[in-house]
Amino acid sequence: MSYLPTTFAALGDATRFAIVERLLKDGELAAGELRTVGRLSAPAMSRHLKVLHEAGIVERRVDKQRRLYSVRPEAVRAIGAWTLSHRDFWQGSLERLGAAMGRESGKT
Amino acid sequence: MSELTIERSFPHPPEHVFAFVTEPANLVKWWGPEGTSLREHALDLSRPGPWSSTLVNAEGGLHKMSGEVVAVDAPRSVEFTWGWHDDEDARGHESRVRFEVHPEGVDGSLFRLIHTGLPSDEIAENHVRGWTSALVSLERLLN
Repeated sequence: MSYLPTTFAALGDATRFAIVERLLKDGELAAGELRTVGRLSAPAMSRHLKVLHEAGIVERRVDKQRRLYSVRPEAVRAIGAWTLSHRDFWQGSLERLGAAMGRESGKT
Repeated sequence: MSELTIERSFPHPPEHVFAFVTEPANLVKWWGPEGTSLREHALDLSRPGPWSSTLVNAEGGLHKMSGEVVAVDAPRSVEFTWGWHDDEDARGHESRVRFEVHPEGVDGSLFRLIHTGLPSDEIAENHVRGWTSALVSLERLLN
Protein backbone atom coordinates (compact mmCIF):
# COMPACT_ATOMS: atom_id res chain seq x y z
CA MET A 1 0.00 0.00 0.00
CA SER A 2 2.87 2.36 0.73
CA TYR A 3 3.72 2.80 -2.93
CA LEU A 4 0.27 4.14 -3.87
CA PRO A 5 1.44 7.76 -4.09
CA THR A 6 3.96 6.59 -6.68
CA THR A 7 1.21 4.70 -8.51
CA PHE A 8 -0.99 7.79 -8.67
CA ALA A 9 1.87 10.03 -9.69
CA ALA A 10 2.69 7.69 -12.57
CA LEU A 11 -0.96 7.49 -13.65
CA GLY A 12 -1.40 11.24 -13.35
CA ASP A 13 -0.22 11.69 -16.91
CA ALA A 14 -2.88 11.32 -19.60
CA THR A 15 -0.62 9.39 -21.95
CA ARG A 16 0.49 6.92 -19.32
CA PHE A 17 -3.10 6.52 -18.16
CA ALA A 18 -4.10 5.72 -21.75
CA ILE A 19 -1.26 3.20 -22.03
CA VAL A 20 -2.45 1.41 -18.90
CA GLU A 21 -6.07 1.40 -20.11
CA ARG A 22 -4.95 -0.09 -23.40
CA LEU A 23 -2.94 -2.79 -21.64
CA LEU A 24 -5.88 -3.63 -19.39
CA LYS A 25 -8.09 -4.04 -22.43
CA ASP A 26 -5.71 -5.92 -24.70
CA GLY A 27 -3.55 -7.78 -22.19
CA GLU A 28 0.10 -8.06 -23.13
CA LEU A 29 1.46 -5.79 -25.87
CA ALA A 30 4.83 -4.92 -27.35
CA ALA A 31 6.08 -1.34 -27.03
CA GLY A 32 5.68 -0.89 -30.80
CA GLU A 33 2.01 -1.90 -30.67
CA LEU A 34 1.39 0.62 -27.89
CA ARG A 35 2.74 3.56 -29.83
CA THR A 36 -0.61 4.11 -31.55
CA VAL A 37 -2.00 5.15 -28.14
CA GLY A 38 -0.65 8.67 -28.29
CA ARG A 39 1.18 8.65 -31.65
CA LEU A 40 4.39 8.65 -29.67
CA SER A 41 7.94 8.38 -30.85
CA ALA A 42 9.77 5.25 -29.78
CA PRO A 43 11.95 7.08 -27.23
CA ALA A 44 8.91 8.87 -25.75
CA MET A 45 7.05 5.58 -25.42
CA SER A 46 9.99 3.91 -23.80
CA ARG A 47 10.26 6.77 -21.30
CA HIS A 48 6.59 6.39 -20.33
CA LEU A 49 6.92 2.62 -20.02
CA LYS A 50 9.98 3.07 -17.85
CA VAL A 51 8.03 5.29 -15.44
CA LEU A 52 5.15 2.79 -15.31
CA HIS A 53 7.56 -0.07 -14.76
CA GLU A 54 9.43 1.70 -11.98
CA ALA A 55 6.13 2.52 -10.27
CA GLY A 56 5.27 -1.18 -10.28
CA ILE A 57 2.23 -0.72 -12.51
CA VAL A 58 3.44 -2.67 -15.51
CA GLU A 59 5.74 -5.64 -15.85
CA ARG A 60 7.72 -6.65 -18.90
CA ARG A 61 9.21 -9.78 -20.35
CA VAL A 62 11.41 -10.35 -23.33
CA ASP A 63 10.19 -12.63 -26.11
CA LYS A 64 12.87 -13.04 -28.77
CA GLN A 65 13.52 -9.49 -30.00
CA ARG A 66 10.39 -8.01 -28.46
CA ARG A 67 9.72 -6.49 -25.07
CA LEU A 68 6.18 -7.30 -23.98
CA TYR A 69 4.34 -5.20 -21.41
CA SER A 70 1.36 -5.99 -19.21
CA VAL A 71 -0.36 -4.54 -16.14
CA ARG A 72 0.53 -6.07 -12.76
CA PRO A 73 -2.70 -7.32 -11.14
CA GLU A 74 -1.27 -6.46 -7.69
CA ALA A 75 -1.10 -2.80 -8.66
CA VAL A 76 -4.77 -2.68 -9.58
CA ARG A 77 -5.76 -4.60 -6.46
CA ALA A 78 -3.85 -2.14 -4.28
CA ILE A 79 -5.75 0.74 -5.86
CA GLY A 80 -9.05 -1.06 -5.30
CA ALA A 81 -8.28 -1.65 -1.63
CA TRP A 82 -7.26 1.97 -1.16
CA THR A 83 -10.53 3.35 -2.52
CA LEU A 84 -12.29 2.18 0.65
CA SER A 85 -11.07 5.11 2.75
CA HIS A 86 -11.65 5.52 6.47
CA ARG A 87 -14.28 8.16 5.78
CA ASP A 88 -16.15 5.91 3.36
CA PHE A 89 -15.97 3.08 5.86
CA TRP A 90 -17.42 5.05 8.76
CA GLN A 91 -20.03 7.02 6.86
CA GLY A 92 -21.30 3.89 5.15
CA SER A 93 -21.31 1.96 8.41
CA LEU A 94 -23.09 4.67 10.40
CA GLU A 95 -25.88 4.80 7.85
CA ARG A 96 -26.46 1.14 8.52
CA LEU A 97 -26.17 1.70 12.28
CA GLY A 98 -28.98 4.26 12.19
CA ALA A 99 -31.15 1.91 10.17
CA ALA A 100 -30.41 -1.07 12.42
CA MET A 101 -31.28 0.83 15.60
CA GLY A 102 -34.47 2.14 14.02
CA ARG A 103 -35.60 -1.39 13.17
CA GLU A 104 -34.84 -2.56 16.70
CA SER A 105 -36.80 0.15 18.48
CA GLY A 106 -39.74 -0.40 16.14
CA LYS A 107 -40.14 -3.83 17.72
CA THR A 108 -42.18 -4.06 20.89
CA MET B 1 -1.21 13.02 10.70
CA SER B 2 -4.83 13.92 10.20
CA GLU B 3 -8.08 13.13 11.90
CA LEU B 4 -11.68 12.50 11.06
CA THR B 5 -14.76 13.39 13.13
CA ILE B 6 -18.26 12.30 12.28
CA GLU B 7 -21.36 13.08 14.36
CA ARG B 8 -24.82 11.60 14.20
CA SER B 9 -27.92 12.26 16.29
CA PHE B 10 -30.03 9.24 17.11
CA PRO B 11 -33.52 9.18 18.66
CA HIS B 12 -32.42 6.55 21.16
CA PRO B 13 -31.08 6.80 24.72
CA PRO B 14 -27.28 6.58 25.23
CA GLU B 15 -27.46 3.07 26.77
CA HIS B 16 -29.15 1.75 23.62
CA VAL B 17 -26.71 3.47 21.27
CA PHE B 18 -23.73 2.36 23.34
CA ALA B 19 -24.92 -1.25 23.24
CA PHE B 20 -25.25 -0.99 19.46
CA VAL B 21 -21.74 0.32 18.92
CA THR B 22 -19.94 -2.05 21.30
CA GLU B 23 -21.70 -5.43 21.60
CA PRO B 24 -20.81 -8.28 19.21
CA ALA B 25 -24.39 -9.20 18.27
CA ASN B 26 -25.12 -5.56 17.37
CA LEU B 27 -21.84 -4.66 15.67
CA VAL B 28 -22.36 -7.30 12.99
CA LYS B 29 -25.59 -5.54 11.98
CA TRP B 30 -23.83 -2.43 10.72
CA TRP B 31 -20.05 -2.92 10.54
CA GLY B 32 -18.98 -2.03 6.99
CA PRO B 33 -20.59 0.16 4.30
CA GLU B 34 -23.51 -0.96 2.16
CA GLY B 35 -22.28 -3.38 -0.47
CA THR B 36 -19.73 -5.06 1.78
CA SER B 37 -20.27 -8.24 3.73
CA LEU B 38 -18.59 -9.37 6.88
CA ARG B 39 -16.46 -12.53 6.83
CA GLU B 40 -14.30 -13.73 9.72
CA HIS B 41 -14.60 -11.41 12.66
CA ALA B 42 -14.02 -11.00 16.36
CA LEU B 43 -15.96 -7.83 16.98
CA ASP B 44 -16.38 -7.04 20.64
CA LEU B 45 -15.76 -3.44 21.66
CA SER B 46 -17.48 -3.78 25.03
CA ARG B 47 -14.33 -4.95 26.87
CA PRO B 48 -10.58 -4.32 26.61
CA GLY B 49 -8.87 -6.78 24.28
CA PRO B 50 -8.26 -7.56 20.62
CA TRP B 51 -10.76 -7.19 17.78
CA SER B 52 -10.60 -7.97 14.08
CA SER B 53 -12.81 -8.15 11.01
CA THR B 54 -12.62 -8.97 7.32
CA LEU B 55 -14.98 -7.33 4.83
CA VAL B 56 -15.60 -8.40 1.26
CA ASN B 57 -16.76 -5.82 -1.27
CA ALA B 58 -19.01 -6.41 -4.27
CA GLU B 59 -15.98 -7.09 -6.49
CA GLY B 60 -14.70 -9.75 -4.09
CA GLY B 61 -11.91 -7.56 -2.72
CA LEU B 62 -10.94 -8.25 0.88
CA HIS B 63 -10.49 -5.55 3.51
CA LYS B 64 -9.08 -6.79 6.79
CA MET B 65 -8.59 -4.62 9.82
CA SER B 66 -7.76 -5.26 13.45
CA GLY B 67 -6.81 -3.59 16.69
CA GLU B 68 -7.15 -3.56 20.42
CA VAL B 69 -9.85 -2.09 22.63
CA VAL B 70 -7.92 0.04 25.10
CA ALA B 71 -10.55 1.86 27.19
CA VAL B 72 -14.25 1.31 27.87
CA ASP B 73 -16.38 3.72 29.87
CA ALA B 74 -19.95 2.48 29.42
CA PRO B 75 -22.25 4.01 28.30
CA ARG B 76 -20.16 7.06 27.44
CA SER B 77 -17.10 6.12 25.43
CA VAL B 78 -14.91 3.40 24.02
CA GLU B 79 -11.48 3.69 22.47
CA PHE B 80 -9.63 1.22 20.26
CA THR B 81 -6.66 1.02 17.92
CA TRP B 82 -7.13 0.40 14.22
CA GLY B 83 -4.99 -0.91 11.36
CA TRP B 84 -5.71 -2.18 7.85
CA HIS B 85 -3.97 -5.34 6.68
CA ASP B 86 -2.50 -5.58 3.19
CA ASP B 87 -2.67 -8.48 0.73
CA GLU B 88 0.10 -10.33 2.57
CA ASP B 89 -1.77 -9.84 5.87
CA ALA B 90 0.86 -7.40 7.14
CA ARG B 91 -0.80 -4.88 9.43
CA GLY B 92 -0.16 -1.32 8.25
CA HIS B 93 -0.16 2.07 9.90
CA GLU B 94 -1.93 2.14 13.26
CA SER B 95 -4.52 4.78 14.06
CA ARG B 96 -6.98 5.22 16.91
CA VAL B 97 -10.76 5.39 17.08
CA ARG B 98 -12.91 6.84 19.84
CA PHE B 99 -16.70 6.48 20.07
CA GLU B 100 -18.52 8.95 22.32
CA VAL B 101 -22.19 8.83 23.23
CA HIS B 102 -23.67 11.98 24.74
CA PRO B 103 -27.25 12.43 25.99
CA GLU B 104 -29.20 14.80 23.73
CA GLY B 105 -32.71 16.14 24.29
CA VAL B 106 -35.28 13.72 25.67
CA ASP B 107 -34.13 10.13 25.22
CA GLY B 108 -31.85 11.05 22.35
CA SER B 109 -28.11 10.70 21.84
CA LEU B 110 -25.35 12.42 20.01
CA PHE B 111 -22.88 9.89 18.69
CA ARG B 112 -19.41 11.18 17.89
CA LEU B 113 -16.74 9.20 16.13
CA ILE B 114 -13.18 10.50 16.23
CA HIS B 115 -10.56 8.71 14.16
CA THR B 116 -7.10 10.12 14.91
CA GLY B 117 -3.57 9.44 13.73
CA LEU B 118 -4.59 8.81 10.13
CA PRO B 119 -1.86 8.91 7.50
CA SER B 120 -1.52 12.42 6.10
CA ASP B 121 -2.03 11.10 2.57
CA GLU B 122 -5.72 10.96 3.32
CA ILE B 123 -5.87 14.73 3.57
CA ALA B 124 -5.28 14.73 -0.16
CA GLU B 125 -8.13 12.30 -0.55
CA ASN B 126 -10.59 14.89 -1.86
CA HIS B 127 -8.20 15.97 -4.56
CA VAL B 128 -7.83 12.44 -5.71
CA ARG B 129 -11.47 11.51 -5.44
CA GLY B 130 -11.93 12.17 -9.14
CA TRP B 131 -9.67 9.22 -9.68
CA THR B 132 -12.05 6.80 -8.11
CA SER B 133 -14.52 6.33 -10.95
CA ALA B 134 -11.74 5.97 -13.48
CA LEU B 135 -10.01 3.45 -11.28
CA VAL B 136 -13.17 1.46 -10.73
CA SER B 137 -13.49 1.05 -14.47
CA LEU B 138 -9.84 0.06 -14.65
CA GLU B 139 -10.49 -2.61 -12.09
CA ARG B 140 -13.56 -3.82 -13.95
CA LEU B 141 -11.57 -4.12 -17.13
CA LEU B 142 -8.98 -6.22 -15.39
CA ASN B 143 -11.44 -8.70 -13.89
